[in-house]
Amino acid sequence: MNVLPDSDGAGLRATARRGLRRGRDFVDETPPDALVTVTVAAVSLLAAFAGFLAVSSLTAIPFAVFLVATGYGWLRHQELTARVLTLTTTVSTILVLGLILVFIFAEAWPTVQYATVNVFGVPIPGLRLFIETRWSPVTPPIQYSLVPMIHGTVLVTIIATAVAAPLGVAAALFLSEIAPRTVRELVKPGVEILAGIPSIVYGFIGFTILSPWAADQFDILGQGTYLFVGIVVGLMALPTVVSVAEDALNSVPESMKSGSLALGTTDWQTMTSITLPAAFSGVSAAVLLGVGRAIGETMAATVMLRGSPGLTKPLYNVFYGNDTLTSLIAANYGDADGLQLSALFVAGVILFVTVLFLSIGSQYIEARMRRKLGGAE
Amino acid sequence: MASATDTALVSEDTTETEAVAAGAVGLAAVLFALSLASVFELVTITDPVAGVPMVALLGGLLVVLGFAVVTFGVGSRLGYVATDPRPTAGLLASGTFGLIWFVVGGLVASQTLGLGTAGWVVASLVTGGAAFAVSAAPREDIGSTLPAGALAVFAGVVFLTGVIGPSWVWDLGWEQQASFNAEFTIPVLTAFCSLLVGWAAAKAYGGFGARGRHIGAYVLVYLNAISIIALLFLLVAFTVLKGLPGLFKGLALGAGAGPEVTLVGVTFSLPVSWPFVMNGVALLNDVNGVLPAIVGTIWLVVGAVLFAVPLGIGAAVFITEYADRGRFTQVVEIATNGLWSTPSIVFGLFGLAFLVPRLGNRKSLLAGMLTLGFMLLPLVVITSRESMLAVPDEYRDASAALGVTKWQTVRSIVLPAALPGIVTGIILGVGRIAGETAPILLTMSGSVAPPGSQTVDVLGGFQLQSAPPFVTNPELMQATSALPYQLYSLITAGVGESSNISAIDEFRWATALILLVVVLGFYAVGIATRYYFRSKLQHD
Repeated sequence: MNVLPDSDGAGLRATARRGLRRGRDFVDETPPDALVTVTVAAVSLLAAFAGFLAVSSLTAIPFAVFLVATGYGWLRHQELTARVLTLTTTVSTILVLGLILVFIFAEAWPTVQYATVNVFGVPIPGLRLFIETRWSPVTPPIQYSLVPMIHGTVLVTIIATAVAAPLGVAAALFLSEIAPRTVRELVKPGVEILAGIPSIVYGFIGFTILSPWAADQFDILGQGTYLFVGIVVGLMALPTVVSVAEDALNSVPESMKSGSLALGTTDWQTMTSITLPAAFSGVSAAVLLGVGRAIGETMAATVMLRGSPGLTKPLYNVFYGNDTLTSLIAANYGDADGLQLSALFVAGVILFVTVLFLSIGSQYIEARMRRKLGGAE
Repeated sequence: MASATDTALVSEDTTETEAVAAGAVGLAAVLFALSLASVFELVTITDPVAGVPMVALLGGLLVVLGFAVVTFGVGSRLGYVATDPRPTAGLLASGTFGLIWFVVGGLVASQTLGLGTAGWVVASLVTGGAAFAVSAAPREDIGSTLPAGALAVFAGVVFLTGVIGPSWVWDLGWEQQASFNAEFTIPVLTAFCSLLVGWAAAKAYGGFGARGRHIGAYVLVYLNAISIIALLFLLVAFTVLKGLPGLFKGLALGAGAGPEVTLVGVTFSLPVSWPFVMNGVALLNDVNGVLPAIVGTIWLVVGAVLFAVPLGIGAAVFITEYADRGRFTQVVEIATNGLWSTPSIVFGLFGLAFLVPRLGNRKSLLAGMLTLGFMLLPLVVITSRESMLAVPDEYRDASAALGVTKWQTVRSIVLPAALPGIVTGIILGVGRIAGETAPILLTMSGSVAPPGSQTVDVLGGFQLQSAPPFVTNPELMQATSALPYQLYSLITAGVGESSNISAIDEFRWATALILLVVVLGFYAVGIATRYYFRSKLQHD
């Protein structure tokens, strides 16, 4: 690298210059008709995307041009076309995430604006969503407080984590360190299949079996408790925790474990004093991902909860379950419009942003662990 | 560590004492199973078992178990039993015992003795502190058995004396009422105590010390693994049992039994009539079925795969083969992982905001396909990338040395070598999206119980026209049903909407079963493919 590390401006300029030079080389080396084909394809695809965004009925025309251009390019200049096509697919993958961000934020904005509060003359958009405690989209005063749903989501997530984290880590230890080969080959697909059972089936069993049973056992008025939704959601998050934590445990170098065993420790001592501490960040990333799953779980909560937003009394009463952020969306999207629909999008934004942060956080932790273990090897 | 002579000296009574400890572990297991059985109401706690009421039996066994473990610990301390204990039971065990006894002391003081806040806090601190001290201060053999055994004895005495009897109820006194009754509390407390004592007994069986801890921990870890598998088995078996009657209702085999179909111009009768998967819902049907939902699910999956697989594999090829490792690939990785963990309901909202207004402004099959495609996309990228990275670089170098272009290497070397992994990933991903409800709820949902005439016919729906967009397909542009959505709508539907279905409960369970079969079928195929390719690779 001939880039000066101390000057960002110079570095940027050098990068730009390099990019430009590479671009010029590329144009010089590529046959002109290939270049034209690729350009036509790219421009027409962009036009098609713009047309789709603008809800134009003419979208099909540039898309057809794109198909023809890539077809021609594929036959005559496969190398370049393949490269450009795969680049296009990569860009569109990132674009999907960007579009999700833009669209749910845009839809959420009206309610955020509606819920603006002036604090000492400074307008803070969306604050009323979090300081009121009543969700009342129809009867005046119209309030779109998300506090009850956040409370529900938090309770469910805490219970689910309390179920999924210890059981999941223990199961991961079992699979990666303890189980004999044949047992592992049986248990591992079992855990995967547990992940495969559709959430609506969990919800259905919870709805028909667990909820009536709980109402009877705990002498609750009506059905739907955060406690059992949390347990069911925890079971659903369990496979995520198991598989990610198992990967982390497997990535601890075998030499570290053998070194410990050679000192005469038992397997369990090696696990608690070598393997688990070494894989600790990976295991916590697994728990974070499990928390993310639990927060986003929808159908079991929708089917098993009461769907009447409100705080439980007292706040730690987990035997009553009203609504979570996810179930609010799933249960109310049908008859919602205008500001209420927009409020559902606010709930979606909260979910999306929280889970995205959890995901990025766990990736960061995993990357750090990989670096650390890679260096230790 | 015990030397060889030590072991030889104590060998004769080792087997005997080991048998006592093993017996305690076994008794704890029996107790655990009994308490589970009463939580699931297989036996009620007032039922007599061998002439003794269940409560008394549980209490008595707890007392016996507790005394056995304490005796073992004390015997070990006094030197009657040869063990290899450490100076202390360890901070984790002591902390746990302290916490448990803190809760026990607090509950007894506040609920049974009726002391005020100050009273129960003091009582809790005293019992918790005492348990912590008993566990942490003496040698490990006392420290890990006495608090556990004492708890079991205490619980047993409480059950035996009827302080918590069959008619016991603890009203929590909250504004929204909830209470614990004996039918729940007694089995759960028993299960908890038996776990704790079982762990202590397993430690004793290993002679405490490193080996004892090893065995104690393994008992819990194995129990955890077994319960996860048992739970899976229970869930599937329960759904199958409940769903089978509805699924095979009216099934008839034999030539000409089934409905007439026309394939390639030939009309013939199917040799099987399976009303549940061949009918829709209609007032005059003998047996109602879910044909529209099954066909809808199939088309959803096909659409999502057609959309996501080329995109995903293309992206994986670019970031693995073309792009230099750097900022750009990092962004792609973060984006795909972020997409992978995005909640499904958010995908649904996105479909509602982005796709629905642009595809005829109403919920449609196409919108559902694309939404599920968005969900499938990150999974395809991640699994394809992983399996392409696993292709050894020597393959690429060898191919490049022949002078072929990069794309030729990718197409004829990398992709074929990575294909097993890619296919497995796609199948597992399809299994996941086939069972998703939340996204299609917001983008595709149609009527609650669609009649057979509403079965989509995508292939027959294409129409050509002269004005843009030239090709239209009304079948793709209208709402339809899918199995998970159908199950959801059957659960939440009011009486009026599903009045055509007579045995609604049977119908629901059969729908749940067929959904489970479809989804787990994908998983089974995916897992089997993986094992097949793996064993093939190992043979080479």
